[in-house]
Amino acid sequence: MAAQFLYSLITGIFIGGVAGYLGSLMITKRMALVGDALGHVALPGVALALIYGFSVSLGAFPALILGITLIWLFEMRTKLPMEALTGIVFTASVAIAFLFLPEEKVFTALIGDISQVGFWDTLVSVILCIFAFLVLRKIFSKIILANLSENLAKVEHIKVERYNFIYLVCIAIVVALGIKVTGSLLMGALVITPAAAARNFSRSLSQYSYGALLIGSLCCVLGILALEFFTLPAGPLTVLVASLIFLISLIFKKI
Amino acid sequence: MVETILKVENLNVELGREKVIEDLSFDLAEKEILVILGPNGAGKSVLLRTLLGLHPFKGEINWTPKNIHLGYVPDDFDAPPDLPLNVKEFFYFKRINLPEILSALQWVGIKNPSKFLGKRLGTLSRGQLRRVVIAWVLVDRPKVILLDEPMAGIDIHGRESIYNSLVETWQEQNQAIILVSHEIGEVVKKADKILALNKRKLFYGKPEEVITSQNLAKIYGGAISL
Repeated sequence: MAAQFLYSLITGIFIGGVAGYLGSLMITKRMALVGDALGHVALPGVALALIYGFSVSLGAFPALILGITLIWLFEMRTKLPMEALTGIVFTASVAIAFLFLPEEKVFTALIGDISQVGFWDTLVSVILCIFAFLVLRKIFSKIILANLSENLAKVEHIKVERYNFIYLVCIAIVVALGIKVTGSLLMGALVITPAAAARNFSRSLSQYSYGALLIGSLCCVLGILALEFFTLPAGPLTVLVASLIFLISLIFKKI
Repeated sequence: MVETILKVENLNVELGREKVIEDLSFDLAEKEILVILGPNGAGKSVLLRTLLGLHPFKGEINWTPKNIHLGYVPDDFDAPPDLPLNVKEFFYFKRINLPEILSALQWVGIKNPSKFLGKRLGTLSRGQLRRVVIAWVLVDRPKVILLDEPMAGIDIHGRESIYNSLVETWQEQNQAIILVSHEIGEVVKKADKILALNKRKLFYGKPEEVITSQNLAKIYGGAISL
């Protein structure tokens, strides 16, 4: 029981941290809700994982890659706004998942269940989180510069398309991991809320991104601790802790 | 002997199906200031971006050497007010050390640059942000600097001081400059050559030779004098 709790805690700390860090980049790129939408896109994969009893992240990842590829292909073909196409793919994904998701698994799929992670799941999650964090840290300034002026970034020999692709893959990894903690329905909060709170506390870019990382980890720790005491699901508790920290951050907000 | 660093021949650029630049030829020597004039929509910005390799084209654009270090000050650079990126962090994107940052800020006429480092980009005035971007481009000493409407939205006083500091830095560092402007003014006075453009070349040469009221009427369609 104690080992199980420790696994949940370690998994939460790493996933919350990298999700927060990624969130600071996604808010800057005005893509905050993409994390939320992709959480839903992953649902058919999550459903399969729950039925056949393997890691939900393992199920979510291919579903996410397929979803992102479809959105990308639709955009090339139609030139419709990305958000509209994301909307089509994510609602279709939810619809597909509910065709075969067993009723008793709905709760876990939608709001997650971190209390059941095992040793190997924890180890793989930690390795993937560190990997995603290192990659994101390497591309962070380049993505920010491209966001300020794509042409300027290109003249400075930044391969904008390549970095955007790497960034999307990182989003897929982090969303797949985050679903473990908060489920499909609440995944968006892990990237949006800690970063939004950190934004209110920070006066520089590094305070912002690392602040988001710390707040993300803290939310997961407090959420999982609360699970021990209140025997309520950790996913919603984590999200509520994040929302509370966001409310507190409003006091510190300086224009 | 002055060497030619850019040779453009029979340049044609299309955007969508529209011809934006037609059959344009000109060149640029080292240490030269070339000002590109023309009305809005004349293809000036497109020309600059094409020279930088950002648009496909037909014809010849030859930089010597081929991998010459170019700096670009775009006209669309904007820092969102909600991004907490400060001036120092912005320069660190280029892995530049602190003394170099401070001197680059001084080149563009920012007094007391060390106090300026902690300011957020999103809180700067238009003129200040423009100076910071120009300093950011200058800091690793490109051989050629291409500026797109660097004085747009900046008052007369600010324009003069930015332009003067730019020319001073250029004289110190032997850089060539290509500057796009949709209006004539300060910039023309210090130019070595003027290229007037409205899809095609309208006129091209030394300012004292080509800036005539007759020629200016070709650009702006009325009698203007400098």
